[in-house]
Amino acid sequence: MTEQNEERSGTDQQDDGPVTERDAESIGGARSLDPQVRLLWIGNSLVTAVFFGGLVGAASVLLLDWAAWPGAAAFVLLAVLGVVFAVLRYRIWTYEVRPEAVYIERGVLTRIRTIVPHVRIQHVDTQRGPLERALGLSRVVIYTAGSRQADVSIPGLHPDQATRLQNRLRDLAIESEGDDAV
Amino acid sequence: MKLHPYTAVIRGLSRGASTGVVVAIFGSMSSGSMAAVGGTLVAVAVAALFGMGYEFLYYRRYDYELTTDSLDIASGVISRRVREIPLRRIQNVDVRQNPLHRLLGVAVLSIETAGGSSTEATLRYVSVDRARELQDALSEKSEHLTAVDAVGDDVEATAAGELLFELDRRELALTSALSIDPGVSAVGSFVALAFEGLLPRSAGIDPTRPIATIRGFAPIEIALGIAGVLAVAWLFSVVVVFNRYAGFRLRRVGDDLRYERGFLGSYTGTIPTDKVQTLTVTENPLKRRIGYATLSIETAGYAPGQSGGGAQTAIPIARRDRVMELVATIEGARIDETGFRRPPSRARRRYLVRYSLGIGVLAAVAFFADARTGAIGRWYLAFLGLGAVPIAAHLTWIHRGYQETDEHFVTRTGFWRRRTRIVPYDRIQTVVDRRTVFQRWRDLADVTADTASTSSLRGGDAVAIDVDADDADRLRSVLTRELLKRRGGSPSGDSIGEGSGADDRVGPQP
Repeated sequence: MTEQNEERSGTDQQDDGPVTERDAESIGGARSLDPQVRLLWIGNSLVTAVFFGGLVGAASVLLLDWAAWPGAAAFVLLAVLGVVFAVLRYRIWTYEVRPEAVYIERGVLTRIRTIVPHVRIQHVDTQRGPLERALGLSRVVIYTAGSRQADVSIPGLHPDQATRLQNRLRDLAIESEGDDAV
Repeated sequence: MKLHPYTAVIRGLSRGASTGVVVAIFGSMSSGSMAAVGGTLVAVAVAALFGMGYEFLYYRRYDYELTTDSLDIASGVISRRVREIPLRRIQNVDVRQNPLHRLLGVAVLSIETAGGSSTEATLRYVSVDRARELQDALSEKSEHLTAVDAVGDDVEATAAGELLFELDRRELALTSALSIDPGVSAVGSFVALAFEGLLPRSAGIDPTRPIATIRGFAPIEIALGIAGVLAVAWLFSVVVVFNRYAGFRLRRVGDDLRYERGFLGSYTGTIPTDKVQTLTVTENPLKRRIGYATLSIETAGYAPGQSGGGAQTAIPIARRDRVMELVATIEGARIDETGFRRPPSRARRRYLVRYSLGIGVLAAVAFFADARTGAIGRWYLAFLGLGAVPIAAHLTWIHRGYQETDEHFVTRTGFWRRRTRIVPYDRIQTVVDRRTVFQRWRDLADVTADTASTSSLRGGDAVAIDVDADDADRLRSVLTRELLKRRGGSPSGDSIGEGSGADDRVGPQP
């Protein structure tokens, strides 16, 4: 956590007010995601929790001739874990567009720091799933020519913020006019 | 340009045969009356004719053209497709011939690019001369288009090129003996099993004995049987691998690497030097002992999961010093065997704990299995494995490491299959630093230099495993800085002057 604070250059802003394109996604400062993203993650883990809770409950009632409470217990456990992880994940998640590369730090149990140089960006997508649309969120996905695991997505952005980031990255990728190393 | 006229014949015959067979199989499922048999025969003939007709049209409607900056291919019988491949995007160009093709003087030319999920274009078939011409033209053009600023460098580019490597007899023998081709040996063992099934009868040992069970056979018979099957499987593999790698030669023609191999068939391929993504040297304990190694040259060209893509651009088994020499010639990478930075010794403790836990799990499984069935007996013997744990932890640790040379990031890992990956800084796509909870606990990190090479798509990236956390921070910024330093204003121009000391490639001292 300490290191993360070091990397933040003071401008750790989370306001969603109308900002000009330049200073919205311009260079400088590690940025957190929109706090709403926690709801997205909690929502996702609730879906999983319902599924597995139901599975455990059904197995306990039908196969073991037991009560249904193990299912409820599994649901509660998974839901609590989901909430805790969502909160932690939100705290850890930062991204930063620096002059030469995008820096991303994420992960609760396994901490992952990815550096995607602008020269290597192949294309940039914005994506919105159903839950994301409901919460008014969007995500930016950055593709490189490298392996699929190294493609990065930045979730929890406001739709126009995502569009600005997408445009910004596109411009940076074009400006950096280098070799794509393929 | 049209394909070779034999195309219609070869493709037609094989398509005719295959459609015929399919119809024949369907036909054989129907009732066995005479009328049905006759009907089937007619259907087979019609299907075969139809297939041949289709391939004739395929030949008629296939057209390719080499322009100054692209290869355009128009194809398709029913739905048409026009494909333009920019020449400077071409990765590998392979020319392949099986014995039949050799007899007829035709070849299959395939062109790989980094995009797409399969080979970008396959010219099946062109005449051998035409294939060679195209291979030359494609590599030459892609060079001229990319190497605008490297004019002085390719003076020595001659048709024959400079011989970099030739598989000698000893290496060929070792390759044939040691590289087991799984598919072929499976076929071999089936054949052997079929014959062994017949043997006891023909030898008159005991024809009444059922073949399907091993009961009633003496242990020595079973042992001999298994040995026989394995021997036949191995022999099959030896023959196939020998045929594949006989006459292996790698030469440099201009800025391309060109290799050829094959005894009955023939296979040649070109790899532009500036498209090389990763070099991987693989060794197992046996090879290390006798001083041999395997080298693969990876580009972004082959699609993931494409069979044998990586293996085809590999030097199967060669003397280790020659492999390292080749690495130095191709990439200008001088690897210092003593220069690998090992993980800190606390990483070794990590492996110790990990393997001990593994033994613990094994013992627990044995214990519960014993408690349930009583079939295991002395389950606690599993703990004897703890004796091997320190050795295993040490071996894992000692074979891990990384080093930074002037132009390359080199990582190494694995005891049973030790892989040394050599990644030019300017091929790195992204830099990833990964720390699990356990790694953070011990202040360790994995640093991945992700490239576009084919094997990285299958998870074969260059990873410096269990690096000290502070060192990982340093490494991350070094890799990023180095990869950014090498992006030139001219596309790809930066990697052409490989080894010639071009001033934009002089890196800082690591």
